[in-house]
Amino acid sequence: MSRSEGIEIARRALDEMKKAGADKAAASFVRGEQNELNADAGEFSLFRSTVNISLGMTAYCETRKGSISINSYDEASIRKAAQDAVEMARASEPDPANEISPASKLEEFSFGPAQAESDLMYDRLNDLIAYTKKEYPSINLEQCILDFVRKEAFWANSNGAEFAESSGIYGFFAMFSAKEGQDASSFNYSGANHRNLDKALKDWGNIDELLRQSTEQLRLKPVDGSFIGDILITPDCLGDFLGMLNGTYTGTYPLISGTSPWKDKLESQVVSPLVTIRSLPLGPEVDAGYSFTADGFRAENATLIDNGVLKFFTLGLYGSRKTGKPRCPSGGGAICMDAGNETLDEILGSTKKGILLGRFSGGNPSSNGDFSGVAKNSYLIEDGKIARPVSETMIAGNLASFFESIRAVSKERVDYGSGILPWVLGSGVHISGK
Amino acid sequence: MKYMDIGRHRALFKGYTELRIQENSSRTVSLLNGDVVGNTSSSQAGLSARSYARGAWGMASTPELNDAGIAHCINRAWENAEILGRKAGKKSYDFDARPGRTVTDTDGLNPMPDQKALISFARELDAYCKTRFPRLSSRSLSISCLDMEKNLLTSDGAEAWSLTPRSMIYAEFTTEYNGEPVELYTVAGGGSRFGNVFKRPEDLFPELDRLWERLEKKALGQYAKPGIHDVVLGTELAGILAHEAIGHTVEADLVLGGSVAADYLHREVASPLVSLTDFANTALGEPCPVPIWTDDEGTLAEDAVIIDRGILRSYMHSKESAARMGHRPTGNARAFSFTDEPLIRMRNTAILPGKDKLEEMIASIDNGYFLLQPSNGQADTTSEFMFGIVEGYEIRNGKIGQAVKDCTISGVAFEMLKTVSMVSDEMSWTCAGMCGKKQSIPVGMGGPAVRCRINIGGRS
Repeated sequence: MSRSEGIEIARRALDEMKKAGADKAAASFVRGEQNELNADAGEFSLFRSTVNISLGMTAYCETRKGSISINSYDEASIRKAAQDAVEMARASEPDPANEISPASKLEEFSFGPAQAESDLMYDRLNDLIAYTKKEYPSINLEQCILDFVRKEAFWANSNGAEFAESSGIYGFFAMFSAKEGQDASSFNYSGANHRNLDKALKDWGNIDELLRQSTEQLRLKPVDGSFIGDILITPDCLGDFLGMLNGTYTGTYPLISGTSPWKDKLESQVVSPLVTIRSLPLGPEVDAGYSFTADGFRAENATLIDNGVLKFFTLGLYGSRKTGKPRCPSGGGAICMDAGNETLDEILGSTKKGILLGRFSGGNPSSNGDFSGVAKNSYLIEDGKIARPVSETMIAGNLASFFESIRAVSKERVDYGSGILPWVLGSGVHISGK
Repeated sequence: MKYMDIGRHRALFKGYTELRIQENSSRTVSLLNGDVVGNTSSSQAGLSARSYARGAWGMASTPELNDAGIAHCINRAWENAEILGRKAGKKSYDFDARPGRTVTDTDGLNPMPDQKALISFARELDAYCKTRFPRLSSRSLSISCLDMEKNLLTSDGAEAWSLTPRSMIYAEFTTEYNGEPVELYTVAGGGSRFGNVFKRPEDLFPELDRLWERLEKKALGQYAKPGIHDVVLGTELAGILAHEAIGHTVEADLVLGGSVAADYLHREVASPLVSLTDFANTALGEPCPVPIWTDDEGTLAEDAVIIDRGILRSYMHSKESAARMGHRPTGNARAFSFTDEPLIRMRNTAILPGKDKLEEMIASIDNGYFLLQPSNGQADTTSEFMFGIVEGYEIRNGKIGQAVKDCTISGVAFEMLKTVSMVSDEMSWTCAGMCGKKQSIPVGMGGPAVRCRINIGGRS
């Protein structure tokens, strides 16, 4: 599909919504083509080729809003969807926060290859399977998925904001566990996204190290008793914790609902001064970013937390208008945390008693930031050394308190393609065995 | 979108092939503190073909619902299977064909609701909450309706049409206590169209009253004491236990991928009081919340008796996993959207009711907990499970006491289930959640109340 065809479809959708009675409108048109290889239980299983289309149309009647999504773009379908979107908007309630982004001349972006290298995809995945069998014979590669998605995305609104982006990205995900006789490790998983297949899959994210760790995690026991200790969070797990932090403190829902404990803390110290978190959709460090936000602004890189000071919530246009707080110019994705000054070995050496947290399996945090869950694929740290892997060990704490307590951030970081994260050490977490 | 005369496309099949023409339609309305923050409708229609050749699967999909699109996908799926099969050199299995030719009975099914009706319904509920519960610091109401409609044709004789609707209403209340937010939710709904499940907003007012009462108690709650405790798990928790702790572990793809359940077939994994079945469409004489008559590989769906009086009896299978293990396919292969391949999924997984009374179960505990409502959960290949708990109470001297704050429970299922000492004679079902496993999909979960010993994570 050509750029002009795609943007014309988005413009046609706008015209139809205006004809149907919308005061304002926004439309997005995405065509995605995916080629995917699956390997299950260590053997190739599926080669899948999908094509899909998504046409999203949002109509505004004064400040009432209705949105519809279809996956066809012939004239009759667009006309009907436009009429439905306007009808939905009319059925809704006014909300002065509903608005569309200002005019912005058509900008076109492009990154990544136009086509998948299918043979190389097969070879890379085959190499990983062979490597794992040889180096880590106790590992079951439960599921591996390697895909290439070519996407043409077009966005337009009735103010005249227009964007077009073409992208080609490879994605890899692996889930695995170790088994010897009747001893088994927890499953673990990781993944990454990149624009090419230059690197072997074992070097994507931290996969090779996680495979190695799984082989150590066959014979486990819980920690003894319960204590308050340190948590050294690994980069894979840190991604989950940052997601929980956003969901509780800085995201749209907790701010609009008023439940965010940080709602009045913009420009205040909210976490340790060692923590700087950036949202870098434009990279250059990030391979799999994006060029424009879902609500129609050109994406910009932004520092969300700067040496512990809260600079931006991750609010879009609606959330910003609703709360009176600034819109996040980056859209809130492509999260990176700055590296620290100590090596991982130094940080480990300074830890008296705690857990090296490989994966966190827990309930959704409470609105006040309390979290609790199971420490999976994790190790007991004692007197600066990894003592042993643990099972059935639970941790409980508060997210803000934990991030305030962070006293070390590693120099080393792991690149996932859509984010780059270090190891972090914090304290004050309840750790309990059986 | 019933696709007429799908059978004529069988002539295009080159070998084992499934052709699925599918449409997912959804309507959602979300209110937050009275504002309509979500008012969306979605329709995703398309087709996919999946073929099996030389021991490998190939699949192709397109939104182009016409003869050219169908022919293209059937050819491409076969090519993909051949390409992968030739490269990978895999063993090929003969599938046990049990073709389904079922058509969902839609007598009495209401039409899909229009958005105006949903907004009006939600606003009435919201108005009730705003007036009746002035101490709420935040209230959220969502209505979610989903239809999955599938036309299926397979080379081994299946031809089926299914419509699986689901309609849910979620309400979440937040209040403040000592300057901190405390929240709790309730969910209502079932496996049918909105007008069949919900008649009038006022029918839900008592449930909203109960939610407020429960939230007030939770606001005064204390942290649960970490460690192993005697607990009674409420019916909703038993359902998620059946799903997370046991169900995932016995999905045959996970068994082949390393689940410890591979070592336990025909062995004792639970107390003799525990029986667990993944029901296809009818349980104990009643329709299940997510009824499956023919699965997405065309297998006529039958119940999978997983645990029978404490003994692990079977797994849940697709055609290929059943062939690999020499078992019978159970009709557990399902796909969420037309672009997705069928995976082994649970359908309606439940622990069967027993003979005990809930009151007696609580009275039997001197010092423990009565845990009622889960948030989310996760399974593991080791059969270790985890659930978040958002509503629970202490039990002291056989009586329900103070509420507890949010906590997490975990255990190793095949050890924890052996501690089950009482099972209530009543059970309930829910289909509110989505099971995630490469693709999300609606599932039904059910269970009675269960007395057992479990590990609670909290603050000492």
